[in-house]
Amino acid sequence: MFNYLVRRFVQMVIVLFFSAIASYTLMSLAPGGPLSFLAQAQIQINQEEIARIRAFFELDLNLPVRFSRWLIGLPRGPIEIGGQSFFGDLIVGCRMPIEQTVRDVNTGKMWTEVIGCVPGQDVTLNDLKDRRTSNGVAFGDFGTSWVLLRDRPVSLLIESRLPYTLQLMITSLTLAILIGVPIGAYSAVRQYSKFDYFVTVLAFFGSSMPTFFFALLMILVFSLIFKDLGWFWLPTGNAESARDFFIPLLGNVTAGSLLDKVLHMIMPMSVLIMVNVAGWVRFIRGSMLEVLRQDYVRTARAKGLEERVVIIKHALRNALIPFVTLVVFSLPAAFGGAIITETVFNWPGMGRLYFDALGRSDYPVAMAFLLITATLTVIATLISDLLYTVVDPRIRLH
Amino acid sequence: MLNNKKIVWLLAVLSAVSMIITACAPQTVTVVQTQVVTVKETQKVEVPVIQTQVVAAKSFTKPHPVLGDAKVRQAIAYCTNRNELIASVYPWLPKEEQGNLFMNTFIPRVHWANEDGADVVKYPFDLAKGQAMLTEAGWTAASPTAIRTNAKKETLSLKFTTTNAAFRQTWAAVFEAQMKKCGVEILRLHTPSGWFFGSTTGLRRRDFELGAYAWVGQTDPAGRTLYSCTQIPVAENDWQGQNYMGWCNKAASDAINAANNTLLKDDRKKFYKIAQVEFAKDMISLPVFQRAEGNAAVKALKNFKPSTTEYYTWNSHEWELDGGRDSLVLGLTQEPASMYSLVESAAVQRVVAKLVFGNATSQVDYDYQPHQLAKLATIESGLAKNNDVEVKEGDPVVDSDGNPTDAKGELLKLAANMKVQNAKGEVVTVKAGDKITMKQLVVTYQWVANKWSDGTPVTKADFELGYKQDCDKKSGAVSFITCNSIQKVDFTSNTEYTVTYKPGFQAPTYFLAPIGYYPSQQVIQSEKFKGKKLGEVPPEAWATLPEIAETPMGTGPYIIKKWDKAKSITLEANPNFYKGAPKIKKLTVVFIADTNQAVAQLLTGAVDALGSETLGAGNEVKLVLDAKDKIQTQIKASGTWEHIDMNLNVP
Repeated sequence: MFNYLVRRFVQMVIVLFFSAIASYTLMSLAPGGPLSFLAQAQIQINQEEIARIRAFFELDLNLPVRFSRWLIGLPRGPIEIGGQSFFGDLIVGCRMPIEQTVRDVNTGKMWTEVIGCVPGQDVTLNDLKDRRTSNGVAFGDFGTSWVLLRDRPVSLLIESRLPYTLQLMITSLTLAILIGVPIGAYSAVRQYSKFDYFVTVLAFFGSSMPTFFFALLMILVFSLIFKDLGWFWLPTGNAESARDFFIPLLGNVTAGSLLDKVLHMIMPMSVLIMVNVAGWVRFIRGSMLEVLRQDYVRTARAKGLEERVVIIKHALRNALIPFVTLVVFSLPAAFGGAIITETVFNWPGMGRLYFDALGRSDYPVAMAFLLITATLTVIATLISDLLYTVVDPRIRLH
Repeated sequence: MLNNKKIVWLLAVLSAVSMIITACAPQTVTVVQTQVVTVKETQKVEVPVIQTQVVAAKSFTKPHPVLGDAKVRQAIAYCTNRNELIASVYPWLPKEEQGNLFMNTFIPRVHWANEDGADVVKYPFDLAKGQAMLTEAGWTAASPTAIRTNAKKETLSLKFTTTNAAFRQTWAAVFEAQMKKCGVEILRLHTPSGWFFGSTTGLRRRDFELGAYAWVGQTDPAGRTLYSCTQIPVAENDWQGQNYMGWCNKAASDAINAANNTLLKDDRKKFYKIAQVEFAKDMISLPVFQRAEGNAAVKALKNFKPSTTEYYTWNSHEWELDGGRDSLVLGLTQEPASMYSLVESAAVQRVVAKLVFGNATSQVDYDYQPHQLAKLATIESGLAKNNDVEVKEGDPVVDSDGNPTDAKGELLKLAANMKVQNAKGEVVTVKAGDKITMKQLVVTYQWVANKWSDGTPVTKADFELGYKQDCDKKSGAVSFITCNSIQKVDFTSNTEYTVTYKPGFQAPTYFLAPIGYYPSQQVIQSEKFKGKKLGEVPPEAWATLPEIAETPMGTGPYIIKKWDKAKSITLEANPNFYKGAPKIKKLTVVFIADTNQAVAQLLTGAVDALGSETLGAGNEVKLVLDAKDKIQTQIKASGTWEHIDMNLNVP
């Protein structure tokens, strides 16, 4: 087992390293970026000013150097050994690149290529000495935000959103499992019954409809219409209200109180539960039906065991084996949040943060999100493999 | 036994070795099964070769084969039913109000600089006229519905590039159908805005035939970067400028330059008239419509006076609430990135900044009003003087384009071959040894006696700190054009300073204060600079300070008390506000990204007001209009206007 864990750990590091390279490169190649606002504002701006902005975002450094500074916080300047500096003049970028625009003769499509650097505008290792540098994501420093929380640590953004996402996702995932597993199992046991048809249709409906449909429908019905009718209504969105409010049956609700928070969570949580339950009911039902046809279930019944014991101990336990993978992979999802649900209900979670970061070219934030999600995914894979040995004694890890 | 330390070492060594092995090891393939495949025939696969051409320095000199012809451009304008385009995006707006969004030139109709008289060619929707003009231009059609062709059998087909915003997809689809009726094939290309507005793509490389996007109309009409001959982006000038059409009409260019180098409003109007007449005549950019924008608030809120050219919180100190309430909740579409105005210029920041810093001046209804700046420092008020000075080679100047620096960012000094504006207002080219008489502005800016929110008075030292910080290259500011145009500043008292600009600086908005103030007395509490005064913090570190970025000290009507990230900002009335503490004691700004959600919160009473940056002008506005018994809604023609640029040249 120890050897297995060491091997897996090494693999995880390699996978993460390459996924970091891939996502960083893709992000760097994406059109747009932090300078795109210059095309939309009526301002006169010269090359020196553009060079300064590029340097601020480190866009004047060669991609591998930028990546290395982001990953491990190096290089920060020339190599210093025994009070002496080495490689200080090593060129690591260019402040003012010479660009040429190239045109595809057939399609007319144009793009820009860098063909050199304006003389005297090279960036050397010596120039990096005065720049602020993060310690590197490998050491838990995600650097500073470019846009969303300009110049302040990305970790502040994550800290502000993560508790809300975890609160919403963990609650909804837990409840979805508690609801979905028994319904799916019962539906399989009572295959072709009215209950089974009802559940199957509902599960199909739930899986097919987009999340925002449920979300908007709930806001319309439980907030707007119910409030207009003077009935018990639910707040339309946010994690808590900005001021006290009145709800029939409950009376005055104090802003920021536990009741206030619970009321705000009901609708987004319900939407996520509905969507997850729909998917999981179908999964459990299918898995259970397969298990119920197995010889060992027939054997158990032949032995005269109670049906309850056959279903729960022999069938359901085995049907849950593949379900373990599904559940464990909810770990990265729990971190990543639910973009659409969070947006529609204005829930201040990680999904919205990622969406905003991409939309507004805040690449350090987007990269932090991607890296954490990738890390959680590889961890989830490991946990899933380890759990298999627990739920299925036939599996041995070497 | 392995202890923890050994395990960590072991893992570290294993990781490193494994990474090296993985990186260096050749790929090994284990063949599980082999199969003999008989190749029956071979086929030569031709790899397509992309033929490329470098866009030359003197690029975009050939006229566009279609759009180079003014008749075609004008025909496109006649074939465009702009009322239909407006109705496609604002179906909920009454017909009369839809008409208010119509534009004939690049300046909105209600703007003081707008010219809408008979001299401006109008292009009302006239299908027959448009078709006839196309025929006259040599583009004919076999049948009324067919796409037109010319004598060389080339089809009249144009690429229409714009962003993928849903709003633009809507009106672009209608535009495409309208053009088809005229026999013009439109190939719509909806690109991500990152590409279209990218620094080396889309508009900046003039990579379009017809390009649709919006400009934000300003109180000062500006326009030089958009329509001057010197502002055409080409490889030769490193793609500088925003005249993406490549329009060089001498009369218009001279007029737009003169309008931006002239100080008196009446003179400027004449120049803007020339520019607008030429703009409409040449039809190089079709103004499609001004966008609509909605602002809404609960009826209990009094003195809610949004303006298209000002953020709606500009007069928050005048707001009052009926019914004895003293707290208000505002919805804001996005959380400001920072309250430090040099690094964050988004509308959402400005909405909150108006609450915290107040107005030096406001820009209501396309005009300027003084507030904390006691008077507009105009020549008419006697606070500004435009002196004649003799300038010789080597003296610092601002050139005739209003630039204090060259393209590389070096400060300009009078030199041979430079173009400057002389004291008579003529643009002249400097010859070696020339001495030129130029205008030099000396402006005194007078402020009201003010207090910071902590009760200490605003002093001369605060203005000095403002100048030092805002003009420091490390401060985070984007452009230093104003700083570079200043020759010297004399801080004469706690409420006054005089700026001597460089000769040639004749910016029409000279009367607006170029220098603000920061609380020099503020002692920093946050960790890294704890105990230091604000002025002692390095300029580049200001953006990182919570005292600047989150809870800045201001002289506005409100003080930020708490900023709950991703949720809200809580503000309280400033008892030291120079006009007295506002009547509404508590304001909460809640961040609501989705417009549907914002409207739902307004309708359920969770928020009390939504500005145009949050409410916008989508179909959600109809819901708000329908709730007129409890919500006051103001729909206005925004300063932001959609237009279709026509690229006059090909590379």
